[in-house]
Amino acid sequence: MIYKSTRRDFLKRSAAVATGALILPQIIPSTALGMGGKLPPSDRIVMGAIGVGSQGTGNMQTFLGHIKEVQFAAVCDVDTNHSDNAKRLVDETNKNKDCRTYGDYREFLEKEKLDAVCIALPDHWHGLIYTAAANKKLDIYGEKPLARTIYDGRAIVNAVKRNNIVWQTGSWQRSGENFRKAVELVVNGRIGKVIRVEVGLPDGGRGVGTPPVMEVPANLNWEMWLGPAPKVPFRGISHWNWRWILDYSGGQLTDWAGHHIDIAQWGLGMSRSGPVEISGHGVYPREGLYNVPVEYDFNCKYANGIEMRVANSSQLPKKWGGATWFGEKGWINVDRGRLVASDPKILEEVIGENEFHTYKSPTNHWGNFLDCVKSREETIAPIEVAHRSISVGLLGEIAMTTGQKIQWDPAKEEVVGNPVASRLLFRPYRQPWNLPTI
Amino acid sequence: MRKQYLLVLVFAGLIALFNACKMGAQYKALIVTGQNNHNWKASSPILKELLEQTGLFSVDMAISPDNKGDMNTFEPNFSKYDVVVIDYNGKSWSDKTKKAFVNYVKNGGGVVSYHAADNSFPEWKEYNEMIGLGGWGGRNQKDGPYVYFNNEKMVIDTTAGRGGSHGKRQDFEIRIRNSEHPITKGLPTRWMHGSDELYSELRGPAKNMEILATAMSQKNAGGSGRHEPMLMTISYGKGRIFHTVLGHPDEHGGPSMQCVGFIVTFQRGAEWAASGKVTQKIPYDFPNAASVSLRTDFKEMTLEDDLARIPNYDITKSTKYFVDLQSRIRNEAKTPEELQKFEKLMIPILENKDATIESKKLILHELSWMGSDLSIPVIKELAGNPALKDETDFALARLQPAKK
Repeated sequence: MIYKSTRRDFLKRSAAVATGALILPQIIPSTALGMGGKLPPSDRIVMGAIGVGSQGTGNMQTFLGHIKEVQFAAVCDVDTNHSDNAKRLVDETNKNKDCRTYGDYREFLEKEKLDAVCIALPDHWHGLIYTAAANKKLDIYGEKPLARTIYDGRAIVNAVKRNNIVWQTGSWQRSGENFRKAVELVVNGRIGKVIRVEVGLPDGGRGVGTPPVMEVPANLNWEMWLGPAPKVPFRGISHWNWRWILDYSGGQLTDWAGHHIDIAQWGLGMSRSGPVEISGHGVYPREGLYNVPVEYDFNCKYANGIEMRVANSSQLPKKWGGATWFGEKGWINVDRGRLVASDPKILEEVIGENEFHTYKSPTNHWGNFLDCVKSREETIAPIEVAHRSISVGLLGEIAMTTGQKIQWDPAKEEVVGNPVASRLLFRPYRQPWNLPTI
Repeated sequence: MRKQYLLVLVFAGLIALFNACKMGAQYKALIVTGQNNHNWKASSPILKELLEQTGLFSVDMAISPDNKGDMNTFEPNFSKYDVVVIDYNGKSWSDKTKKAFVNYVKNGGGVVSYHAADNSFPEWKEYNEMIGLGGWGGRNQKDGPYVYFNNEKMVIDTTAGRGGSHGKRQDFEIRIRNSEHPITKGLPTRWMHGSDELYSELRGPAKNMEILATAMSQKNAGGSGRHEPMLMTISYGKGRIFHTVLGHPDEHGGPSMQCVGFIVTFQRGAEWAASGKVTQKIPYDFPNAASVSLRTDFKEMTLEDDLARIPNYDITKSTKYFVDLQSRIRNEAKTPEELQKFEKLMIPILENKDATIESKKLILHELSWMGSDLSIPVIKELAGNPALKDETDFALARLQPAKK
């Protein structure tokens, strides 16, 4: 704990310095810093990317934009269309043809000598690949939600901590000004003592029925795409739409748990803990391949008596997305592009110097990762927090799957007195895949 | 002897009375039908069956003379009933019958306006106040505003124009606008409705009216481009009216009437109109945003039906029997004992030599969390089957955590 608080202090101080530093490159001729304004290659962070579909490519391009700090060397994807496209983008930036491509992350990790990696994969792959990259001592920018199960999530946390690497979760809302402001207002009591929270997440959508079995396209390694998930024939559902199938994801709920539940728990000071009782109800598709809940609604009780309701926003009274904290003196709702309160004056409140301030990063979410890779400091969305945020979504999933009220011990991370529900903390992998023992 | 015989008779009479009570026909319903530009001969018997299925209603039919007949002879005794279902779109009733109906509703009678019933009686002021909104029959701005939803807000629009239209028939999504009303409480907030006419641009007095559900009338399907009211409640005097625009009848009902969403909202709406409350449970086959759910024979699936069909499971045909089994487990089994009750029904599917591999995979996956030691021997036996090896490994890894 002492270590953490000193580091916080350090960050506060360095943030002020860094804000000043940002202005410098605009005044000093960029050539003074090296060729074309870049740091000498040896000082740049050498990165690779695993999973370069839409999200992974987006992350990679953001990092490519940090050309002064980052040098991309290699990309890896089970779809050669993805890896070819990513290589093209890297080569365009590097003005050469040197970016190496891989189809198997094991070979990628074995051969490449990298400092850091950005990873964006279907959730069912997170456990294996995050731990493997951590065990290679690579710093990781990893997409949320952290894991498909709480068991996998804890394994990833342990691997990151054990290897002492820098981890940033793709929960970028933590770097968003309106989210930080909302959290500071709530934590500093501007709506009084918080009584309950509502978290509104997107509704589920139409199914696709069961598309026919089709030939796997030559560019896709289907067996490797499935990895530890059950073996099923290819029906044209892989990239992007994996999110609607329980073998790979928990649907909108687990996708968005890493955003709005993350923010809600931040405002409750529960980012590194969790609820003690969870119960709820889901509505599931009755036909076809997609089987994640299209509606979900569960309630979490925290040990301090605060309750958090998580639901697809259509079920909430105002049908609002985002996090809404209700306190004794008012409420605050924050969502992307929105910050509103029961009384607009609440939003004008100034947070005093000695009050709680959220982690302030002088750069954006991706830049914060790069800063921390250099400074070795903790990022704005660290691993333990990522795990605790998705854990709430996964506990909600367990409560809905069983139809039972789940008692949870957030310290031990155990379901209390319910061995049946406990089994759902874990999804066995298809052989030969095994998560390294923790 | 005689005394004993009498006693037996009295006893038998008591049993009959008890059974009659247990049958629970708490409410008397009347379906008014006989003239319609729709196929009332198909729809009215279905509506009767749907009401009777709930066990709450005894149902009579009042069939009017045809449109060449003498409407003065049509005098249903409304006051005998708790709810009157209007499946009628035809000639005006006699003044005496109209007055009796108005008095019935004013004094607390319930009404269900079904589909084209809101086309009927454009000239009858009180009726239009009861149904809130209506269409066709020359309705326009003189009859009241358009009412629809724009985002989360109800819009009352007095623009001049015709009242009543619909685009081409198709499946569409119903969006519940008030989940706190007894009729809609607990229903999914969005659900797919089987192919139907989506009534749009209805107009009417819209007094004391609440919209419970809407649907987007798509412009590209010839609609209005607005979220149009689909389910409404209206109060008139002491009476309660439930207005459903759904259920355009084909021969044997068709998808609009077979839709479980239509069936259940009709049944719940009728109970609410009769009593002001709803005691019916929401069935497992209720549709949601993912897909339409039909009962082609108008019967609700039982657990036995689900179990009988799961062994033939073929993902390309239908997944609903297994999904319904999962719903039953979630809702009905909260303890290890209750879970074991289901487990004992599921194990025979694993042992069934004719059951499909796909069905066994699903059962193994479900048993992996809710099964007990009872399942382990049969799972171990199936582990020898290469087609099931992954799923038996999966189930055993969860059921025997030592392996983990």
